[in-house]
Order: sequence, then C-alpha cells, then structure tokens
Amino acid sequence: MGQIKRIHDMLVSGEITCTELTKRFLEEIENSNKELNAYITVTPETALAQAAAVDEKLARGEEIGMLEGVPMTLKDNISTKGIPTTCASKILTGYKPIYDATVYELLLKEGVVMLGKTNMDEFAMGSSCETSYYGGSKNPHSLDHVAGGSSGGVASAVGANLAVYGLGSDTGGSIRQPASFCGIVGLKPTYGAVSRYGLIAYASSFDQIGPITHDVEDAAIVFDAIAKYDDRDSTSQGSEPTLNGLYDDIAGKRIGIANQYLDGVREDVKQAVLDAAKAYESMGAEIVYFELPELDFALPCYYILAMAEASSNLGRYDGIRYGYKAEHYNGTHDMICRTRSEGFGKEVQRRILMGTYVLSAGYYDAYYKKAVNLRGAIVEAFDRAFGCCDVILAPTAPVTAFKSGYLFGEETDPLEQYLSDICTVPVNTAGLPAVSIPCGEDSEGLPIGMQLIGKKFDEKTILNLAYKYEQSESKFKETKWGVKL
Amino acid sequence: MVTREDIENIALLSKLFVDEKDLDSLTEEMQKIVAFADTINNAEVTTGEFDNINNLSNAFRKDEVRPSLPVEEILSNAPEQAEDHFLVRKRA
Amino acid sequence: MRYELVAGFETHVELQTATKIFCSCTTAFGGDPNTHCCPVCIGLPGTLPKLNEKVVEYAIMAGLATNCEIAEIAKMDRKNYCYPDLPKAYQISQYDKPLCEHGYIQLSNGRRIRILRIHIEEDAGKLIHNHGDTYVDYNRGGVPLIEIVTEPDFRSIDEAKEYVERLQQIMRYIGVSDCRMQEGSMRCDVNISVRPEGSDKLGTRTEIKNMNSITNIAKAMEYEFDRQVELIRSGGAVVQETLRYDDVTGTTSSMRSKEDAHDYRYFREPDLVTINVPRDRVEEIKSKLPELPEQKFARYTSEYEIPEKDAALLTKYRSIAEYFDKAIEGLKSPKTASNFIIGQIFRRLETEADKEAFDVKTSAVQLNELCKLLESGKLKNNLAKTALEKMLDSGDPVTKFVSESDMAGLDDATLTEYCQNAIAAMSAAVADYKSGKEKALMAVLGNVMKQSRGRADAAAVTAKLKELIG
Repeated sequence: MGQIKRIHDMLVSGEITCTELTKRFLEEIENSNKELNAYITVTPETALAQAAAVDEKLARGEEIGMLEGVPMTLKDNISTKGIPTTCASKILTGYKPIYDATVYELLLKEGVVMLGKTNMDEFAMGSSCETSYYGGSKNPHSLDHVAGGSSGGVASAVGANLAVYGLGSDTGGSIRQPASFCGIVGLKPTYGAVSRYGLIAYASSFDQIGPITHDVEDAAIVFDAIAKYDDRDSTSQGSEPTLNGLYDDIAGKRIGIANQYLDGVREDVKQAVLDAAKAYESMGAEIVYFELPELDFALPCYYILAMAEASSNLGRYDGIRYGYKAEHYNGTHDMICRTRSEGFGKEVQRRILMGTYVLSAGYYDAYYKKAVNLRGAIVEAFDRAFGCCDVILAPTAPVTAFKSGYLFGEETDPLEQYLSDICTVPVNTAGLPAVSIPCGEDSEGLPIGMQLIGKKFDEKTILNLAYKYEQSESKFKETKWGVKL
Repeated sequence: MVTREDIENIALLSKLFVDEKDLDSLTEEMQKIVAFADTINNAEVTTGEFDNINNLSNAFRKDEVRPSLPVEEILSNAPEQAEDHFLVRKRA
Repeated sequence: MRYELVAGFETHVELQTATKIFCSCTTAFGGDPNTHCCPVCIGLPGTLPKLNEKVVEYAIMAGLATNCEIAEIAKMDRKNYCYPDLPKAYQISQYDKPLCEHGYIQLSNGRRIRILRIHIEEDAGKLIHNHGDTYVDYNRGGVPLIEIVTEPDFRSIDEAKEYVERLQQIMRYIGVSDCRMQEGSMRCDVNISVRPEGSDKLGTRTEIKNMNSITNIAKAMEYEFDRQVELIRSGGAVVQETLRYDDVTGTTSSMRSKEDAHDYRYFREPDLVTINVPRDRVEEIKSKLPELPEQKFARYTSEYEIPEKDAALLTKYRSIAEYFDKAIEGLKSPKTASNFIIGQIFRRLETEADKEAFDVKTSAVQLNELCKLLESGKLKNNLAKTALEKMLDSGDPVTKFVSESDMAGLDDATLTEYCQNAIAAMSAAVADYKSGKEKALMAVLGNVMKQSRGRADAAAVTAKLKELIG
C-alpha cells in the first residue's frame, strides 16, 4: 500500500490526528534539515493551520479526500502566495508571490498540508542541487553525496521522510534524476499535462511540474490531482487519469530498449536496467531492441533551446519590481547590470550568456533555428519508435549520485554536468512522459534508477508498468531519516 | 570561434557585467560550450521546419474585464517605491 | 540639384478592447498608477499570457479595412530588450508571421500607399522622469496594439497628412480604436530619407518619433527633410539614427544612447500557441464590417450626386454618415438632407469633437420626416428651415411646429392680398425694381413671406408681384 493511502486510513480511523502527524514531520525537519539542507523555508504556521482544518472536518464526521491532510512540500520555484519563493537564488531574496501557482491551488482544494519550500539548483539550472544559493541538498542514503538536481531538495526531503511527497519540476531531468539518486519515484508528465502557471520559468517549452514520491501509487494519486487543463496556461491540456490503470495486467506489453541509451552509461547502471528487463519478461512483457540514433543529438539540441528560452525568461530580473537590487549604482543601466551580476550565480550567468549567444544575429540560424528543426526530428524518431513498443525502458542517469563538490571541482569540465543529463534530456525534447523508479544499487549502496518513457499523455501505461515492477521487485530501500509511520 | 569581444557584446545584451579578470576564463568556458553546441551540425535533418512541441492552436480568452489587484499588492515586492510608482533612483 | 522626399510610416494604434491583450485587466484610460495591473501584466515570475480573442478580431478588421491579406496561420514571437517599462524584458509581438499583409490605402492624388503588414503586440508601461529618478506605472503595460507598417511610398508631406487622417478615419469607422494622437492611442513614427530627383535608389533614412499631432508630423518631416538636404549639400552624409521631435524648438535630435543594442533576438513565444484563421472566419468578420468612408463617399457622389466637398464632410465621421444614411431613406433627393445637415445642423456643432459626437436633438427619422414633407411640396423651404431650427432646439418632430393649415399654402386671394400689402408698404423698393434693379424685388418678397409666416411659395410670390407691379 502506498504511503498516501496509509496516511489516509490512519487519519480516517483516528489512529493519528493530522495535527499530530504534521507536528512529527515538523520536528523531524527541525532535527535533520541542518544536515540534509532539504528545505529553504519551513512553514509551520501554514502547515498547522491546514492540519487543524482537516482535523475539524474529521471531528465533524465528514469525509476527507485521499490527499487531504497528507504533509507535502513544493520545490521553491513553485509560487506560493505570501510565502517566500526564491528559486534558490540571491536575486529573489525576500520575494513573496501575490498569487498561488495553479498546482498549489488544486492541492489546496484537496486539503493538503504544506510543510515548506524545498531546495533546488538555482533557477532549476543544474544536476546536483549545488548551484543553489543556499548550498546543496544531501542524499539521504549518504551525506557525502548529492541529492541530485535540480529538484534535489524535494528528493532529499521525500527520501528522508521529511515529507510524504513533493512537487518538483523537470526541464531536462530535474525530477527523475534526483529521484533516481535518492532511490525514490519521480514522474515527469507529458509536456502540457500539468499547468505551468505559477512555475517560475526556466525553459518554457520543456518545463513540467510533477510528483516525487515514495512509491508509484502515490505518484499516480498526486498526478491525477494536478494533471488538469488550466485556462491560464495556453499550452496546458490535462491528461488521462492513471490510478485505475495501475493494477492492470502487463502480459503482452512491449517494452522497447534503445541501444544508444545503453551506450555511455556506467556498467552497473546498464546491468541494473537489463536485469529489470529480464524481470519484465518474467512478468509476461516482451522486450524489443531498436536503434534511436537521434539520441546522439538530443543533448546539444536541448541545451541550445533551453538556454535560449532561459536567457529570455530571466531577462525580467532587474531589481525594479521585486527581489534583490544592487546597493550601489550610477544610472538605470548600471543598476540593472549590477543587480543581475551580483544576484545570479555563475552557472545561471553562463547559461544566460550562452542563450543570448545562440539567439543573437548571425548565430540564430546556425544554432537556434537548426536546433528547432532537430527537435522535430527527435519527436518523429520517438514516434517511430513507439510503432514497435508501448513504452521505452532506459537508465535514468548514466551514473549514481555524485560526490558532493565533484561537479564544481577545480579540474571538472563545465560540460560534465550537461553530459550527465544524457538519458533524461531526450524525453523533455520530445515532450513525452517518463517515470523514474529505483532498480538497484551500486557497490556503495547508492540507488540506481531506471525510467519508463511513454507516448504522449500515456502516463497511465508507464505508471502501470512501473507499479508492477515495484510490487514484484521491491528495490526501494528505506533510510534512517525522518518520520516512520 | 567565440572571442573576448563576442563575450563582451553578449554580456551587454544580457545586462551582465563581466569582470576584466574573469573575461578570459569565461571566454574559454563559452568556447567549450559552443563547441558542444556545434555538434548538432553533424546531424542530418531531413524533416521540414518544426512548428512547436504542442500542436495546439487558438487558445483564446474572452474580452471580459476582471478586477485588477490593489496597488499595495502590486507594489508589495518593490525594492523601492514612491507615490504608488515603482522607483529607480538616479544613483545609490 | 533638387531633392525629393521619401518616407514610410510605422503607426501604433491602441485597440479599444475592454481588456488587455494577455490578461483581463481593464484598458480604461487614466486610472491611478498601478491600479490596472495583475501578476501577468507586471510580468511576475511564473505568470503566463493568454491571448484576448477580440484583439485578433480587431486586427483582422483593420486588415480587411485596408485591403490586406489575412494570414491563415500566424504566431506570436518574443522581441527581447531591456527597459524599465517592459516588465518581462521582452515584448510579445509578431515577427515573421503577422496577421495581415500586403494591403493599401488610396490617397486622393491617386497614389496608393502600400501597407506592408499589420501585426498585434503589447504596449509597455509609462515612465516618468523626475530629476534623474525614474517612476514606473504599468497601467498601460499590456494594452493591445496593432502596428501598421507602410512601404516607403510617401513622396510629399501632404500625402503623409492625408494618410494619417484616412487611417484615423478608417480605424474609428470600424470601431477598433479612437485613434487620439494627443492621448496616445495612435502614435506615428516616420522613416524619412532624401534622394536626388529622378533617382530610384533609397537614401539613408532616419526615424522620427514622438510627434503627437498631424501638425507636428508635418513640421517634423519638413524640418528633417531640410536638415538632410542641407547636410548632403554641404558634403556630409545622413547617419541612420532614431530622432525625437521637439515641438518647442521645432527640431529633431538624436534619441538613442549607445547602451541600446538593436539585437532583438526574436524567437517564437513558447507560452502561446498558433493562431489559425480559417477563411470562413475571415468572411464572418468581413460581413460585420461597416461600409467604409471611401465606399460611402463613392455612393454619395455618384448615386446621390452630392458635391465632393459635401460628401467629404458627411463621411468624415461614421456618426454623421450613419445619421445621413438613415435620414435619406425613401427620399428622392438626398441632397436636401445633406444641405440641412451641413448647413443648419453643423452650425450648431462648433468643434470637430462636437461634430464627431453629433449630439443632436433631432433624430435622423425626424429629419427624414421633414425632408419628405419638403419633397412632397406640402412644406415650403422657408418654413422647413424655421421648423428645423425649432426641432433642433426641442427634439420634437416637425408636426409639432407645422400645422395642416401651414402646409396648405396660400390661396390666390390671400396671396394677392399679401402682395398688394407689400407693394403698398415698400414703395421705395418697388420704385427701384421698376427702374431696373431686379434685386429690389427681394425686399418686397421678404415682406410677403413675413406676412404669410413662410407659408407662401417663393416662386408663386415672385410671379404674383411681377404681375401686380407690371
């Protein structure tokens, strides 16, 4: 049984009150956050008020929904009215949105308890959570290792039982990779399934909000609650509900493996995925190998387009309407430049410069325009691939969690960070859904993750297959941290 | 090949200052990143022009007025304000 | 060597939709600073635009009214630049797939000003500079604009003036904008260059901004033309730059600082989707367009034989033209109604604003009744005129002021009586007339008209007087 259902039963039966449960989470956060650095802002007042409301309902004998009273967290790039939303950046210090993101509005209607805002790479740009202005989040399986990025804080919190589930965002792998590093479940929905209204934009045509949970059933419950059409987001469409399809028999389902996906990943990661394929075969699924040469170009294509969009999305941070403003300046232009140079971290500035470069006159055709057309080719390639299979099985990341400080060491190539996204990025490029689930661990005990990639708006099938594997193989490993139910 | 001058121009467009002392190392980094981006030239793209990632069209809103937010909320995050305006002083 | 002027116009027109282009804030003019704002139009992180359907409709109307081709597929793009009045540091506009293209406006001298394109975009906020400090008000941010760009087809300042007037007239007629230059709902930028007469190469052009009236446009163009010619004649070269017109000194001066780079890095707006305009939608919009001024003008002059000068006055404002159209229903001679409007009614409307508002107590139907009586012969011209004055004062119909007996006219006995009275009373005038001064009869005629309270028919009186006087 998933955590959400367990908690729901406990609340309904009176085994624990929502307030008691929430207090336990808040206590554990207090105990552990110094070491894990998962949370940027903890919101005890909000959480306890929300919990009290749930308890009142229960006291009156009213029915509560599945998500009602379940303590959760939001990545700190999701807007919460009156609650600091920083994107882990100095340039948004003290920024309190005057509106709620649509996903938060939807969850508030469900009666959630929001424990606080969790850590991330600055403006979601990173793969280890270490570009955060507040320092990186640690992996609950090993404090020497990173939680992953960019939704590192969410993954760390959920993996350490400091929240039952969280909402992260995924632009090039930022939900799946930290979920993989922390040994938990992370779902990136189809582009357009979940509203982006209120998500502080990194790359607008790639960003999606999705759940990070302990188990697949929880991911299905949360996804179904947030995958709704939103008329404030012109690119949103909603999606098909997934919970009822979770338990379907998977015999006869065709699982594709692209050979290119297995090249370039560490041997133990590759083996874990192949073992998973065998497990699926024993459950009656069919494994199909195929070529996807377009994968070779997905990474540079993604980075060109994502950085271009990011450079434009981040133009608005100028110290005039919100956020950090340079203390000393002479003239408006000077003020804006100083504010941005002092307020943005190095990685963010690098990506803004690169994005501006590929859009600038003289380079637009060679880079941006070409990348747009290449994107079309990648979309078509996946379309063709789904002609021979129902889902695609692949590693989530080529490695397991990096050692803290590794990506930003003296000798490290700035490109290494980008290259580590090789498995996740093609999915965002094609706008497809994908779920990462644990499928093993390496010699140091660090989790290995695999992802199931589905057709557009077919979260139902990938969660179904993920669920069956999870139930059969149970690769999830509990950590020492947080609230134990 | 990305030059120092390129970086200076890009920085100006991006409204970012690049310290003189950082300019060389930044140029080198950017050269690496651009070389990485250059690898797309090895791809043969035979498909036509790609439109956009969703094939949606005509997402419209009705022309009906909804109340605006109170000026206090609009200005609530302003680093500096005066007389209900956002303020940028000449210098600080 | 003589030089000729070459110019093109870029005109921004504020659309009079109820809400802004990407959010539901009001577009109402005025308003205390920052009170017409929301998270979307101040560009708060995480907000997304949603396109107002009326903006697309109005843009298509503007395109149809200027003979443009309406795109089947259009899209929105980001124009990236940094300025305090632009909250997102990009303006959502249209780059390479605008809504309308390849139209024209015909001028009275026969020249066609080709319209290259019309596209939709959002307006920026307002900056107020005070002792070097900058105050920002985002009320205007997000107000929908159409940008109308012409080819460099203008060859004279008069053509430019006429173009602006016609553009204003058309936009007001179709109801997409009130085009008030003083209020900023219409802003013209002029691109101007000079070249030796007879040459077909384009010279280097400058762009003049900040002219808030047609008079100032003309003055600015004149000044800039002279400046460029003078510069070239003295051996210099025109520099491509943006200038602002100062209406106090009557001069142009350079506007941009070197901090402003011109690389807008246009790319497709990822937060908005494609705009499809099926042909039947275009037809639907076309069918709802009102008759345009030039169509009315043609109809009035050719079908109703109304003189061009009068037709121009009648068609200048849609309010007047529609009043006229209603007033002439079923009339044999629309010119009658035209004369009343241009004569007596216009006399009461002093300013252009008054004329456009056309707040007149007499309805078109009431004017129509009056004209019908006149046409049938039941009412004489003089009586009609006095009646109209009373109608305009009161708002009452003609029947209130004109009775059956008035309309019956004068019988011969009464006519003779009145004429004899007049001849007796105005012996001096009669004597003058007898001695050859034809015009002297008018005074006598006037006396008869006065006696009859206008009921007499002027022609019949004249004939009777001549008969009696001899």
